[in-house]
Amino acid sequence: MHMADALLAPAVAATMYAASATVAGVSIHQLKKDDEPQKLPTMAVTSALVFAGQMINYTIPGTGSSGHMCGGMLLSALLGPQAGFLSMIVILTIQCLFFADGGLMALGANIWNMAFYGCFVGYYLIWRPIMQGKSGMNERVRIILASILGCVLTLQLGAFSVVLETTLSGITELPFGAFVALMQPIHLAIGLIEGVVTAAVLVFVYEARPELLRDVKPSGAAKRSLKATIVILAVVAAVVGGGLSLLASSNPDGLEWALFGNEDAGYSANMGLDEEDFGVSSSAADTAAAIQESTSFLPDYAFADSDSAAGTTVSGLVGSAMVAGVAVLICFAGGFFRKKKAA
Amino acid sequence: MNKAEQALRELHEMDALAAGASPVHALCPLAKFFATIAYIVVVVSFGKYDLAGLVPMVLWPVLLFTVSGIPVSTCFRKLRFVLPLVMAVGLFNPLFDRAPYLTLGGVTVSCGVISMLTLMGKGTFCLMASFLLMATTRIDALCAALRRLRVPGMLLTLLLLTYRYVGVMTEEVAIMTDAYKLRAPGQKGVHYTAWGSFLGQLLLRSMDRAEELYAAMRLRGFHDHFHYAEAAPCTAEDAAYLVICIAVFLLLRFVDVAALLGSLFVR
Amino acid sequence: MIEFQNVSFSYEADHPVLQNVSFSIGDGEAVGLIGANGAGKSTVMKVLLGLLPCEGKVLVDDVEVGHGTLYEVRRKLGFVLQNSDHQMFMPTVYEDMIFGPLNYGATREDAEARADAALERLGIPELKHRHNHKLSGGEKRMAAIATILAMEPQAILMDEPTAALDPCNRRLVINTIRSLSQTKLITSHDLDMIRDTCSRVILLSGGRIVADGAADTILRDRALLEANRMELPLSLQ
Repeated sequence: MHMADALLAPAVAATMYAASATVAGVSIHQLKKDDEPQKLPTMAVTSALVFAGQMINYTIPGTGSSGHMCGGMLLSALLGPQAGFLSMIVILTIQCLFFADGGLMALGANIWNMAFYGCFVGYYLIWRPIMQGKSGMNERVRIILASILGCVLTLQLGAFSVVLETTLSGITELPFGAFVALMQPIHLAIGLIEGVVTAAVLVFVYEARPELLRDVKPSGAAKRSLKATIVILAVVAAVVGGGLSLLASSNPDGLEWALFGNEDAGYSANMGLDEEDFGVSSSAADTAAAIQESTSFLPDYAFADSDSAAGTTVSGLVGSAMVAGVAVLICFAGGFFRKKKAA
Repeated sequence: MNKAEQALRELHEMDALAAGASPVHALCPLAKFFATIAYIVVVVSFGKYDLAGLVPMVLWPVLLFTVSGIPVSTCFRKLRFVLPLVMAVGLFNPLFDRAPYLTLGGVTVSCGVISMLTLMGKGTFCLMASFLLMATTRIDALCAALRRLRVPGMLLTLLLLTYRYVGVMTEEVAIMTDAYKLRAPGQKGVHYTAWGSFLGQLLLRSMDRAEELYAAMRLRGFHDHFHYAEAAPCTAEDAAYLVICIAVFLLLRFVDVAALLGSLFVR
Repeated sequence: MIEFQNVSFSYEADHPVLQNVSFSIGDGEAVGLIGANGAGKSTVMKVLLGLLPCEGKVLVDDVEVGHGTLYEVRRKLGFVLQNSDHQMFMPTVYEDMIFGPLNYGATREDAEARADAALERLGIPELKHRHNHKLSGGEKRMAAIATILAMEPQAILMDEPTAALDPCNRRLVINTIRSLSQTKLITSHDLDMIRDTCSRVILLSGGRIVADGAADTILRDRALLEANRMELPLSLQ
């Protein structure tokens, strides 16, 4: 989710820098007021840990893929939102400077998208209310619930911000709705996995040293077995995942609708352009085009009756380029996995 | 070599590059920092179809690579983080924006293709610029420079302290990953029964480490701030470098150098 | 059991870490791998375990260490890391002990029996259900050795097994190592421990083997040791 410089207009980048800097300023002010100098080494070591922790692959049972943990929730549960926010800034800065993960100009936006939501929204809206709630829930269940909900929510907000910032910057031709429909479900899945991993780590910390966690009442309760913890994790993940995917699938054709339909919503502007330029004007062709458009990604590709040879050539060229691009991407991804295995 | 070990090596690599000596290394960090920011802003501000205008911007990083002796290959390995998202966004442009942009020998190139290429060019150029900044500037020197820009000391201290421990922690994760793999053949990642404890164990030790670190700091008189090296003073040469850089960027931004060059040969 | 044939390794082309290293270790042999910091001791271990790729051939029980053979090779080798914390990532000693055997295909009963046997063997049954992060340094080291023993390896590799231990625990670990009948390859700067536990010594310097022979000969050679940034063992001074 790290944004690159190229995806942002300078004005948007500057706005995000200003927003992040303001929050950082307030955080530093509050931390200084609380006068907690011993926090600094803890913050440093913990952020180093979160940085390193993101190098660990967690095998997702039943699938061939792997996930990572969510730094923002973990840090704010351990250090509180202000210290967690500063730690995240430092992590993102190191990733940006030394690993080129996210651009220098996009750093403000990345801090906002990942650190602000993860630490402040995650803490004040999810972690603290759940941990301090009056209900008779077991502490472990609360930790699990808060971690998963927190990760899902903050990642959704982050992904939405990426879309918003990119669209405001006028970078992509992808319509806003389609972009949202593309990003949110992907990050729902990522959020769930990150949530479960984060919950597993926090439950472990709770059982070993509960005093390390914010807003958690250290109770002398007996250690729950690993199996029971995992069962709770799985149930919560399934419930959250199931509920959210039900919501998400209430409009199953969302992506296609956003990509190819609905002139009223103004999405036709891009699609309309080529029709004029390629000189397709007969009503039959229009109808055909409409059908083609609703079924294929590259509508003009198969226009037998189109009198514009150039148009077809362009589509073919673009199509081949896309195929080449995808092929390169696949090789790229394949190389990645091979490397991982070999390492 | 696992992921953490790879990261560790990249970290050491950047350290080694930044410790080198060249005219670029010798420049004041503040001048390099502002020049880099100016470069990125100018690159990003090019219009989305202005591929021809963007291309000459490659000259600045090429010049810096040459003068500083930093290997280009190191930089391109880092593209793997940035390019996927840029690609994901850019790849849709040719689908949605299919107005013809120009025709070359009977082949029409659409606007979307141009804007995709422009976007990828921007991504690569910006990456090269920030890579060059970090490959020629030590982190402590950069922090000292940022301190002069009134970036809060607490944040910079935290950055340097974290930077110190990122190496230690990443090494721990690298070793743990190896140790895990040795006893868990054929697993791609950490099995779910160890999800909590794998990182959790490290986390608990880190907390102890942090306490020890704080004790060590106090024993040597730590009160509330760190004493790091002062920023190197900026000389007239540094100022000249910055001014020239910005002037050249603006020139490249507002004068279509590629077209000018082209018009010498094509009429 | 273990054979290195002209093994070389480097991270960067012009900085070789190992250069043409060749040696072989027979079944049941106990070999000390010594050398100054940065001499290449850890790299030898990593190459042997297939954690790093190398030029040349590494054989374990006549099987070449390579992509397809890692499972087979690693099952035969037990590696005790220098920092026990790195090795013990499960919550308790017991969980850590059964982790390896289970992953190498043992049944649960079998793994548990092996763990109990290893604890009994080292005389530390009381550590069984202790939390890893609450063990003392000495307990941690013994527990780490136990987790490797539970895997029933044919050869045991140890990286600085006596580092940071008090004299009593150091003696305990030395006696434990002596009592193990497996093939052993031990790297250490603690030359007295090497003298107590190994019959043969390989001396590395700058990524090359500079001496390979009986422990008693090499560890008494003051000139050789001092030329390679080492000292005579205290017991011989």
